Amino acid sequence: MESDQLKSNLAPIVKVENFHLHYYTRRGVYKALNGVNLEIRKGEVLGIAGESGCGKSTLGRAIMGLIPRNAAVVDGRILINGRDYLKPLKDYYKNTKKFKPSKNADVLKKVNNEMSKIRGQEISMVFQEPMTTLNPLLQVGYQIAEVLLYHSPGLLASRRLSRSRAKKEDTKALVKILNENGPNEKFREYLKEKNIMGLEDQILAIWRRKDLHDLKKEQMIEKLCCEPINSFAKNYLETIEKENKLPNFSKIPIFGRIVKRELIKEGYKKASEFLGLLGIPNSDKMVYMYPHELSGGQRQRIVIATAMINSPQLVILDEPTSALDVTIQAQILELIKELKESINSSYMFISHDLSVLAEVSDRIAIMYAGQVVEVGNKDAIFDQPKHPYTQMLMEAIPTIEAHELKGIKGEVPDMRNPPKGCMFRDRCPYAMPICAEKRPDLIKVGEDHYVSCFLYEGGKS
Amino acid sequence: MLLFIPTLLGLTVIVFVLIHIGGTNKLLAMYLSPRLTGAARQQIIAELDQKFHFNDPIYIQYFYWLAQIFQGNWGITNTPIFSGPVTQAIELFFPNTLMLTIFAAILIWLISIPLGVHTAVNRDKPSDNVIRVGSLTFYAMPWYLIGIILIIIFAVWLKILPINGTVNPSLVADLSWYHNGISYPTHILLIDALIHGNLVVAGNAFLHLIMPSVTLALGVMAALVRLMRGTMLETLDQDFVNFARAKGVPEKVVINLHAKNNALLPVITNFGYLVAGLLGGVVVIEDVFSYPGIGMWLTDAMINNDMGGIMGGTLLFGIILVVTSLALDLIYAKIDPRIRY
Amino acid sequence: MSKSNAKPDRFRELKLSLQVFFSNKSAVAGLIIFLFYFFDALILQFFPQILPFKHPYQLTPNYANPIPQPPSFKHPFGTTYPGVDLLNAIIKSIRLDFWLSLEIVIPGAIIGLVVGIIATYFGGWIDEVLMRVTDIVFSIPYLVLAIAIGYVLGRTLQSMMIALILVWWPLYARYARSVTLETKELTFIEAARAAGTSNLKIMFKHILPNSLPPVFVQISLDLGTIMLTISALAFIGFLPAANLPELGYLTSLGYNYIQTAPWAMIIPGLFIVLFALAVNLMGDGFRDVIDPRRRSEL
Repeated sequence: MESDQLKSNLAPIVKVENFHLHYYTRRGVYKALNGVNLEIRKGEVLGIAGESGCGKSTLGRAIMGLIPRNAAVVDGRILINGRDYLKPLKDYYKNTKKFKPSKNADVLKKVNNEMSKIRGQEISMVFQEPMTTLNPLLQVGYQIAEVLLYHSPGLLASRRLSRSRAKKEDTKALVKILNENGPNEKFREYLKEKNIMGLEDQILAIWRRKDLHDLKKEQMIEKLCCEPINSFAKNYLETIEKENKLPNFSKIPIFGRIVKRELIKEGYKKASEFLGLLGIPNSDKMVYMYPHELSGGQRQRIVIATAMINSPQLVILDEPTSALDVTIQAQILELIKELKESINSSYMFISHDLSVLAEVSDRIAIMYAGQVVEVGNKDAIFDQPKHPYTQMLMEAIPTIEAHELKGIKGEVPDMRNPPKGCMFRDRCPYAMPICAEKRPDLIKVGEDHYVSCFLYEGGKS
Repeated sequence: MLLFIPTLLGLTVIVFVLIHIGGTNKLLAMYLSPRLTGAARQQIIAELDQKFHFNDPIYIQYFYWLAQIFQGNWGITNTPIFSGPVTQAIELFFPNTLMLTIFAAILIWLISIPLGVHTAVNRDKPSDNVIRVGSLTFYAMPWYLIGIILIIIFAVWLKILPINGTVNPSLVADLSWYHNGISYPTHILLIDALIHGNLVVAGNAFLHLIMPSVTLALGVMAALVRLMRGTMLETLDQDFVNFARAKGVPEKVVINLHAKNNALLPVITNFGYLVAGLLGGVVVIEDVFSYPGIGMWLTDAMINNDMGGIMGGTLLFGIILVVTSLALDLIYAKIDPRIRY
Repeated sequence: MSKSNAKPDRFRELKLSLQVFFSNKSAVAGLIIFLFYFFDALILQFFPQILPFKHPYQLTPNYANPIPQPPSFKHPFGTTYPGVDLLNAIIKSIRLDFWLSLEIVIPGAIIGLVVGIIATYFGGWIDEVLMRVTDIVFSIPYLVLAIAIGYVLGRTLQSMMIALILVWWPLYARYARSVTLETKELTFIEAARAAGTSNLKIMFKHILPNSLPPVFVQISLDLGTIMLTISALAFIGFLPAANLPELGYLTSLGYNYIQTAPWAMIIPGLFIVLFALAVNLMGDGFRDVIDPRRRSEL
């Protein structure tokens, strides 16, 4: 029903329909998400706002399938490119009399296995706390390379093979083409003709650098050739290039390690190029560093690079700036804006800070107590907030102009026993008798603007 | 990391204090053969006074004593299984103990880490419950009881493993490289037999090693599995593990690369305690299986109130433990890039 | 929160704690077994006349028939060398082992706690020195150190107790240190310090109570470890010609009859295992109660 209402010109990548997620704990069942309806469209930045504990992070993680073992998918679905990966979890919940985390964990394992194919590839995520998001024991280059290793081994193999296939005259010719016409069709044709497509991004990464003199760049590009390769590893790499699939390394004695090492090494190279593109200085050294050698801002950049390196269709940013200093926050926001320009992904930007969302989002969804209470274009939300909660949130934003700051009275309802009707009833100045009886649906109140409140039921707005 | 030097010195202080609580006579007991009498005895005492300066203040005596220890003069031991210089006893018994602990350590490492990971990953499943109950039971069992149960099962009922010693005496009765229960050149019977190409004796020695090392392993494994399970569960909840999942890394790699190595760190820090437990276990187990190592020598010394054996053994066990902790620190630094010496 | 709210809150927390503990069936089983041992020890210590023992604090050998007898109607657990009825002996031994474990763990914990708290609270060189001392004590395997101390003090029950206390306190010092390090950073401690509360008062009024629950858990776990250590020492002959009702000593009595009378070792051994198991299960249950994360997990 709601899906009809949320119809739009842009096709959604992720569609959340009436999604319910409950945490089972000894203190009771926390009803974290209670019927979330939302869609994320191609190429947009969707901001998600709400107080802490309203379920916005839970929603982000649920889309990724990163669900703890004690979380039950009670109802609804999340479609990623039309596929509902969490269905087995819901089926388990529906068919069981007593919810058991260990059984849920079994199902979760299968879900994880399925989703690991799209994670990092179609959807990826940036966590809030850069200090704990990276594995302290692995070099950051490895942690970025891993994404490539498991999703695009073909790319890595092709990059490596191209460097061994290319001859000195090839790279010289390519430099000439670039100097004459830039990276155009002719450039690509030449690469294709010589079967060295893997060189494209390597050459362009050097070509686009702004910190080097042209001559130096030409030298570097010309060096991308004639790299000898172990003939046994070459065979394997060629299969990997063709099939874009990793072989079972444990079945290949000794050479499995060599091949894997080649791929990872190539991943480091690609990671360093990508970090360079993101404007991170010394990226070639940085990939060999460990997380503890980097500052919070640098780590968050690494995390963002890891999430973006495969150009996923959707990136979920879970409060990516909240744990950082204000100046670093601004830099990270700038980076995200640049990425939005250069890589054609969609973004789901979760934040409790409306001013941050105002800066980056196209649309904004307001969440309250595990539900989306209002969703619409950024301007509509800021200029004509409809839901009483949204209105109160807007009044609570500090601005430079003098205006009376108002807090929101009362507390979020106890999510173990959420009220029957509208969740916001107790804090709402406009509460009506009907609000205690049932929950309002999302209804259209303007162009692509939906709100769930009885005030707007029956066409009045 | 250089902290091991003060620890080693502190260890010698403890041993020195323990020796001196009983007064000079106790020290004499450690360096004086009880068989000596009369003038010869007086002469040796005078010689010892030259070395240890019994009339100087106690803290001065400590340094003279320490100098003797450094020179390898650890006193004499006088027990039914060995009588002679302490260092010689160590030379004879230590290789056997080393063999036993290495065997056990290999078993422990190969089995308990994977088990700990398995139980954490399959939390609350039947296999987890079985392993948990099993490891808890072994954890709650005194070492000697584990050994005795193994003896009753494998030696008394099934009669497939020998009860005690290192070898069947009839096999080594007239070997040229075996005298008085001591094999040459390494003093480890299994290795010596292999050196001399005597596979029958080697096989028999191996059979004799099985039960003591399995007993030793079981006791420590129980603790290690529990420890590993706990740290693994904690690690599996960490952000970076979820982030690895969010990158699309296969679950197997998430567990074996990302989670396991991080979960191992606190295990390695706690490994010192386990090694201490292991060495304590050696004492009991060698006694149960009459396995001629440092532990058996130490218990023998205890029962016979032999000062040299007790203090020499204490010092040796202390040194072993300090050196192992040092090695563990180095391993830790190798795994964790955050630590650099 | 207002003060009137605090009380029902505490009550609710207590109720939840009990709920968490009692929902853990193995912990409850551990508690029940522990209580059996406890009452056994209590009765024999304070009301030995209730039980029909002539010598409640000694083993009663029967040299007329010293060879171990299998379990029978007269001797439900059989007998061990020299003709000691195992049921009687075990009932008597539990008293000794139980009190001995307590007498070792409690002083060890108190010394360790005080040292640990002093070390963390003052930090600096005091901390460094105290931790170095614990390091040194730790550098000798505790069983070996106990043997060495036992040699110096004479191998008696008292010296075993003293030896084990000396061996055990560093463990608690370390443990208390790690707990207090966490507590020290808590905001209310900062607040107390800012309000000018004296060091001593902060230490014993604020930090100590917060360190107690985890230490309490550790004590319950250690009761088992101590019992195992005592029995191991007794088994290898720490107590010469003891004739003492002690479980480890009791097992060692049957050692020479292992081929013909396995029960003589296994049955008393079982009672050691049962105790160690019980306190471990119980301790795990307590740990669930005080660990906020496990507390809320299902």
